Amino acid sequence: MPVLPKRLSGFTVIPIAYPSSSHFIYARAHTPPKSKTLKSKNVLPEGRTLFLVNVPPDATEHELTLLFKDCGTVERVLFDFNSADAPEEYASDSDEEMDEAAEEFDTEARPRKKRKLQTSEPTPPKVISLPSPSLRTLRKTGSCAHLIFLDSSSLAKALSPPTSPKPWPSSEEPRGLSHYMAKYDNERPPLDTIKAHADSFMECFEFDLSKSKQEAKYRKGEAIVDEDGFTLVTRGGAYGQTLGGGVGVASKKFMLTGQIGGRKKKDKKKEKDAFYAFQKAEKQRKVILDMKNNFEADKQRIEKLKESRRFKPY
Amino acid sequence: MNQVDSENTNRHGREEPLTGHELRDIKDAADLYQSGSFKLQIDALLPNVRPKESGRQQLDHFLFALRAHCISIPSIAPLSPLAAMKVLAKQGVAVPSVFPLPAPDVKWKVAFEPPREICVVGSWGNGIAVKKQIGSRFSVDLSMEMPEALFQEKDYLDGRFFHKKSYYLAILAQSISTAFDVDTFYSSALGDPRLTTLVLRSRNGSASYDFSKSHTEVHVIPVLSSSSPLSPSRLFPSHSNVRVPSSSSPPNFPTPIYNNTILLSTCAKEALMSTHELKNALPAFHDAYTLLRVWANQRGYGDGELCVRGFERKGSFWAGLLRYLSLGDELVGTKSGIAKLRKPLGKGLSSYQLFKAALDFLAKHKFGETPVFTKTTNGHRCPPEEYITHHPAIFVDATSTINFLSDVPLTSLDLLSHDAKETLEQLSNPGASSDTFADCFLKSRFKISSRFDAVIRVNLSQASRNQSTSTVIEHGSSDAALLASISSLLRRGLGNRTQAIAILQPVTPYRPMSSAESPSTSIIHIGLIYDPAHAFRLVDHGPSAEDQDSNVAKEFRYLWGSRAELRRFKDGRITESVVWEVTTSDERAHIPVSIVRHLLQLHFGLSAKYARTLQTPFDNILQLPDDVRRLHRATGGCKAALIAFDGVVRSLKALDEQLPLALLNVSPISEYLRYTSTFAPLPIPASISAELPESLRFLPTIPIILEFEKSSKWPDDLKAIQKIKLAFFETIAQSLMSSNPGLKASIATGGSSNPFQGYAALEIFTAEGWSFSAFIWHDREATLLDRIIDPGKMFVSPSDQKYNAQEQREAKVAQELYTRRFIHAPRHHRAIVNLCHKYSAYSGTVRLVKRWLAAHWLLQTHVSEEAIEIICALPFVGGKQTSTESAAAVPHSKERGFSLVLEFLTDWDWKEPLCLTLYEDDPSATAPEMWTSNGPDAIAVHRLRAFAREASKALRNAETELDIKSLFLHSTDDYDIVIQLNPTVLPRYHQNINAESSVWTRDAHLGITESTPRPGFDPLPLFLADLQSTYADTLKFFADSFGGDRIGAIWLPSLGAPRPFRALAGFSSKPLAKEDKAKDKDLVMLNRQAVLDEIGRLGTGLVQKIIVHEPM
Repeated sequence: MPVLPKRLSGFTVIPIAYPSSSHFIYARAHTPPKSKTLKSKNVLPEGRTLFLVNVPPDATEHELTLLFKDCGTVERVLFDFNSADAPEEYASDSDEEMDEAAEEFDTEARPRKKRKLQTSEPTPPKVISLPSPSLRTLRKTGSCAHLIFLDSSSLAKALSPPTSPKPWPSSEEPRGLSHYMAKYDNERPPLDTIKAHADSFMECFEFDLSKSKQEAKYRKGEAIVDEDGFTLVTRGGAYGQTLGGGVGVASKKFMLTGQIGGRKKKDKKKEKDAFYAFQKAEKQRKVILDMKNNFEADKQRIEKLKESRRFKPY
Repeated sequence: MNQVDSENTNRHGREEPLTGHELRDIKDAADLYQSGSFKLQIDALLPNVRPKESGRQQLDHFLFALRAHCISIPSIAPLSPLAAMKVLAKQGVAVPSVFPLPAPDVKWKVAFEPPREICVVGSWGNGIAVKKQIGSRFSVDLSMEMPEALFQEKDYLDGRFFHKKSYYLAILAQSISTAFDVDTFYSSALGDPRLTTLVLRSRNGSASYDFSKSHTEVHVIPVLSSSSPLSPSRLFPSHSNVRVPSSSSPPNFPTPIYNNTILLSTCAKEALMSTHELKNALPAFHDAYTLLRVWANQRGYGDGELCVRGFERKGSFWAGLLRYLSLGDELVGTKSGIAKLRKPLGKGLSSYQLFKAALDFLAKHKFGETPVFTKTTNGHRCPPEEYITHHPAIFVDATSTINFLSDVPLTSLDLLSHDAKETLEQLSNPGASSDTFADCFLKSRFKISSRFDAVIRVNLSQASRNQSTSTVIEHGSSDAALLASISSLLRRGLGNRTQAIAILQPVTPYRPMSSAESPSTSIIHIGLIYDPAHAFRLVDHGPSAEDQDSNVAKEFRYLWGSRAELRRFKDGRITESVVWEVTTSDERAHIPVSIVRHLLQLHFGLSAKYARTLQTPFDNILQLPDDVRRLHRATGGCKAALIAFDGVVRSLKALDEQLPLALLNVSPISEYLRYTSTFAPLPIPASISAELPESLRFLPTIPIILEFEKSSKWPDDLKAIQKIKLAFFETIAQSLMSSNPGLKASIATGGSSNPFQGYAALEIFTAEGWSFSAFIWHDREATLLDRIIDPGKMFVSPSDQKYNAQEQREAKVAQELYTRRFIHAPRHHRAIVNLCHKYSAYSGTVRLVKRWLAAHWLLQTHVSEEAIEIICALPFVGGKQTSTESAAAVPHSKERGFSLVLEFLTDWDWKEPLCLTLYEDDPSATAPEMWTSNGPDAIAVHRLRAFAREASKALRNAETELDIKSLFLHSTDDYDIVIQLNPTVLPRYHQNINAESSVWTRDAHLGITESTPRPGFDPLPLFLADLQSTYADTLKFFADSFGGDRIGAIWLPSLGAPRPFRALAGFSSKPLAKEDKAKDKDLVMLNRQAVLDEIGRLGTGLVQKIIVHEPM
């Protein structure tokens, strides 16, 4: 067996022992892009973030933590954190994104976060989440991950080429058949849990709604005025008033296409197109020419078919 | 020249005006033909089926030499027939023997004198020859007129004429074969020795007379001159011209076919002349004749592997048909008055119009009922009544002596009518998606599996030939008599159950000159085309009990044998009847075939072993093994599923008061509720489920859609809507469970991270063991999703929420699912249910095709079931909206439907859109990509076509010998990897085409069963989906969704070579050892073994082993 390179384009090659082969993870210290805002730097602190390429598709945070256990304590693992993908998005609400990545199954993360940011007096109701036992999430093969060590000294350790392939650790999350069974059972929680979850969510939703109404700029009965001082005329509510949050006065078709209704189309052509003799002749000529062209086109098509020996029936 | 012209016109910016001649041509093409391009295609076709100029000279050279030789053959003095035979036998030439053989002591003698006149007759003589199907040689008919001196007045008796003719032919054969360097054969059309001709073929590399370039063979036909001593009046149909010594038959029986065959020898020249006249009178005759012959040849009316009984060497019939159409009827005075006459066609018709008129006549004319007498010049020579009483089918030519159809069974004529009807339907619907011209002239219709609803392969070698001597003499050979008898019995027995019965046999082969008899046919194929209104009738009524002794009753009892019995029916009638008892719908579909079998057994002693069909093996493909059905202990089926569905709907509606909104509609969207699931759905009650081994446990969940009344109380927020749905489900579940004991309801939340998507479903598990999953359709979702995807549509947003790209992507996914599930699925379901009700064979076809696709690892993963349901509708609907089940081209059995779909898939150009009008309720609703957006991709379609080609080839080749199962067996050789799964943990394994019962019996003994039933749980698609999404750019996966226990995969070729390292490469790589330090970039390569190890790890508990077919 030829000797494999220890380093590749600035990445350290970390071989992982599989039952009958080796898998290779490529590691590099994370270098944040220069144009990034402070926030993204907070997420991936320079100096103690390891950038991993070609992570096994079924890797869990725990498994990666175990893999780098001898280099140091791992604070957090972020999978598929791709800042180049949609920079604006992440710049604006990377906090949220991060939490979502961490709590895969907690779809309620967003509303709760919003609520937290707005410091408000009445305590909002809490959403009782559905049970989310630890199940593996499969990612695409050859994907990458960011591993954040607690201590920056671990980074150097992790980047020094290992002498021998490490075995792939295994965490307690089920795999294969038992994974699918667990997932099946998990997706069918007891009815009372669902009830509690749905009720509390709706309570929270109502709460948010009423609060946003309170805080909204526009109130019932007040005209909507934009930054340039234009008043938006909307279709009247109950009493022909212009209402905040109403539906635009323009027709739906106009809203969708930007075109004004079909009255114009009804306008008839004023000129007759077969009034003068020459017009008639032109028309006739055109018909004949069209006919000829069609015929020629057909002919060419048949010629082509002829070449493909189509007309030999047997 | 044209090129230059067009350039000129371009330069001047004006188009050259058309000349009047051109204009007329174009106009004509559009008006007189189907369309301009149809005309052009006809023009392109014609030269290909006509003889070429090459080799003509050599042929003429040979013909002259042949003529010179024949007229100088020395005469042979009269000999007794047997002595003459012996003399020739010594020279290795047999005299074609004609039944009855001459007695040893006959007084008459055979002799030879050189032919008086030698002519080229038939289609070659008129220059209208059309290429034949087999061997593609044109036949040059050469008539040699036997001198009158050889015959006596009484030669029409006892086959004396035929013996003399045979002897004459044998002498010619002997002399020609010694004088010329050519291959000589005897050929007896239809196996009738009376029609024997001598065939001369150019031998390859022959020095003297090589006319192989002309692609012809010469048929030498001895004919009788018009002034022969045989009196035509003795040969009228009613005359009895054979005396049989035996006592079994009446002494004087009319011999119409025998007589007709003698007359055929008298009119070769006359036919040549009259066709020539016709050719001159009708400018389009030649083209129309050619079209008609090509059309007929493609359908087996002529030569070929499987030709329709009775049409061998019947070229004169087609010319006669056109002559009849242009001349019109001869007046026939019958008892009921003068029959309505047909108007002759105009002389100026185009070839296409003439062709269509011929088809129109064939389609509408009932040969069994109305005789055809072509207009003659001097009136009938023979009283028409004689024909009417003695021939079953009558088409008398312009000479009024010959009936073209004397030896053509009525069944074949029914088929001819049917084929004509089918082609006319296609021609009158030119807008149909398929290519009319190709269907009409270019495609051969020899694939009997796609042409007939049922095909029965009959081995005649063991048939009891109990026909009387007289019938054998009349038909010329024992085979012919047997086939005639089979044909008429089947026609009577099947009655209006079939539109047509085809008796197909291979064309009679040429035989060497040394053999006197034509080889007998042992294998025939009987094809049935059902009439859907009557085909599956359970009772055949005969005459009533009162006229027990009438002839009708006797015939009825003779026809059916012990099956005929007197029965009293509900309405009080007591009649002779035959009752076909069936228990399943499959058995009912077999009734016509059982009738054929019964008749063959009763009358010809042919047991089921000798009459085989593919129906039962096809049925078995769609059924679970017997022991599985026993273990399940339940009777399922679509009907039962529908009843269960109705039950669920009823209990849901009963909850009305307990729900905040009224339930408006429950729509089914499942194949299990529209008769198109491959396997009949089986309920598994919880009690039984616990006892079943894992590999038998699959219980399908049947999706349904709940629609509630509109309400303003729904929140205007997608996420909240999904939560409200959850709350709804919870209420329904609780109240359902409390009102229906034994019913279990749970809520599947679906582990999706997409917040907009309504994954949640209410799962209802009924006491009988059916499982349904219900979704709630809320139409506001569509608008809300639209707003997220395209904020421009939101004129004023109620809140200032902005959606990022990620959310828009998710919304798009959610919207696609929403439209598919809530808008299109119910519509599709309704359309398919309609089709199932309209066409009895449709559901069976879909089930077979789905099974076949699944068996070849393409269904579901690559081709959606809905797409297949639409494709399967094609042979039924045919692109026309108005088609009904009785249309000629619509298949009436699932086997034929399957075969037609295979044929379509074979040359499916998936880039061409396929347009079907299925959604009748709303024709504007088109969903081009709804069911095919997730595949098939190019690879899958390519494979699909390859499999279809294989399968239809296999179906055609072996016709019925083949083991149907082999069509459904999948070869795994061309996969790079095959992942073998553990069958004992797959709940669907019992549906596997090769399911081994040891898997579930062993499992049951071990008692490894989990207690909780998981309705709808099937790990294979879950695992497959995970693999597909994980390795989308590395591997392509295939698997059988119906109980498959293997997954096949191929490496995508794009990752084959080493490539430079990239961080976001998207595949599992391994670094390559550096070889050349100087130039190299850091190359990596796909780490195949590691991927396989990973797959093994992902499928822990499922994967048994991974087989690699390719060197790593």
